Amino acid sequence: MSDQETEWASMLRAAIGGDGRAYARFLRAVTPVLRGIVRARAGRMQADAVEDIVQEVLLAIHQKRHTWRDDGPLRPWLFAITRYKVVDAFRARGSMVHLPLEDFVDVLVAQTGTDPTAHRDMMAVIRHLDPRSAAIVTAVGIDGANIAETGRQMDMTAGAVRVALHRAMKRLAELRERHVE
Amino acid sequence: MKTDDLIALMAADATPARPVAPVLVVSFLAVLGVAGFVFLSVIGMRDDLPGAYAQPLIAAKSVLPVGLALLGLGFAIALARPDGQVRLWPLSVIGVAALGLFALGMLATPTERWASGIVGQTILPCLLSIPALAVVPLGVALVALRRGASTAPRLSGALAGLGAGAAATAVYALHCTEDSPLFYVTWYGLAILLVTALGAALGQRLLRW
Repeated sequence: MSDQETEWASMLRAAIGGDGRAYARFLRAVTPVLRGIVRARAGRMQADAVEDIVQEVLLAIHQKRHTWRDDGPLRPWLFAITRYKVVDAFRARGSMVHLPLEDFVDVLVAQTGTDPTAHRDMMAVIRHLDPRSAAIVTAVGIDGANIAETGRQMDMTAGAVRVALHRAMKRLAELRERHVE
Repeated sequence: MKTDDLIALMAADATPARPVAPVLVVSFLAVLGVAGFVFLSVIGMRDDLPGAYAQPLIAAKSVLPVGLALLGLGFAIALARPDGQVRLWPLSVIGVAALGLFALGMLATPTERWASGIVGQTILPCLLSIPALAVVPLGVALVALRRGASTAPRLSGALAGLGAGAAATAVYALHCTEDSPLFYVTWYGLAILLVTALGAALGQRLLRW
């Protein structure tokens, strides 16, 4: 394992153990790499369309993170998910891509850039959620509140907030699958 | 949606998921056990079971399917990881063993009775009972595999179907008194292939993510 991979692996291990900060660090660390991979395949696709695919990959990593064997190598797992979702995303958008794993190695060292969707606001997706889920997603995702604060604000237990957030995340992933925005 | 906002949401959503393998194994064995118990209670095991199963050529009716079931489900579990890889050649070992039994059956049977040996008496009960016994175990296996992330959904579904069809066959064999390999290799094999094909078709739809 490279240093980078070891570092990512320890962050993800902590994340699966329940450390949300480590998880956020992990996701922020892999996002530029994912963005580079998608962009390398995207041709003349618009930057925000590229970012949509990056977000689909991130959601897939989130929903399938328990399939990582935490004593195993991280990169083959991460890139298998990425390849599957990227091929899927391009196919859904009407263009076939062939994505051999070897190609990823070059992209990893390529430099990456920032989030082109930074200007877009979250409301477009959030309005497809029910009001309570939308309020939780807004509090956590935009206002940066934690679960306990959100629970106090909304007069819910922390457990109920967690369950509602988890459901909202599933719903978000479904919406992304159908390219609702 | 901003990617950074999405990351904040994901970091806050710490709900852990149960891994695929224990869920699959426990639910599969539970429903197979119930289905098998009901089936054998209704139509009964063969009367001479202990004596018959002392003979390797008859015991093979359950032993080979059990081997296939373990391989099929084991491979399906391995493939539930996105980076999971399987080598399928051990399946062909069981296939070759089955063909070997079929050849033995041909040697032990006069040529003019090969056709009647293959046809036997119970093709229809065999081809109906095995898929019927397999369908619920296949369903719970697919539900468990949906937690996973197979990058080959159709193959994963086929392997789950192979596992369920073979496990159902091992149970059905406890009832079935057709002991010629000419019969059981042919029709058990066909029944298992039917369930495998069903699993492949379902997997392609249900195991995408």
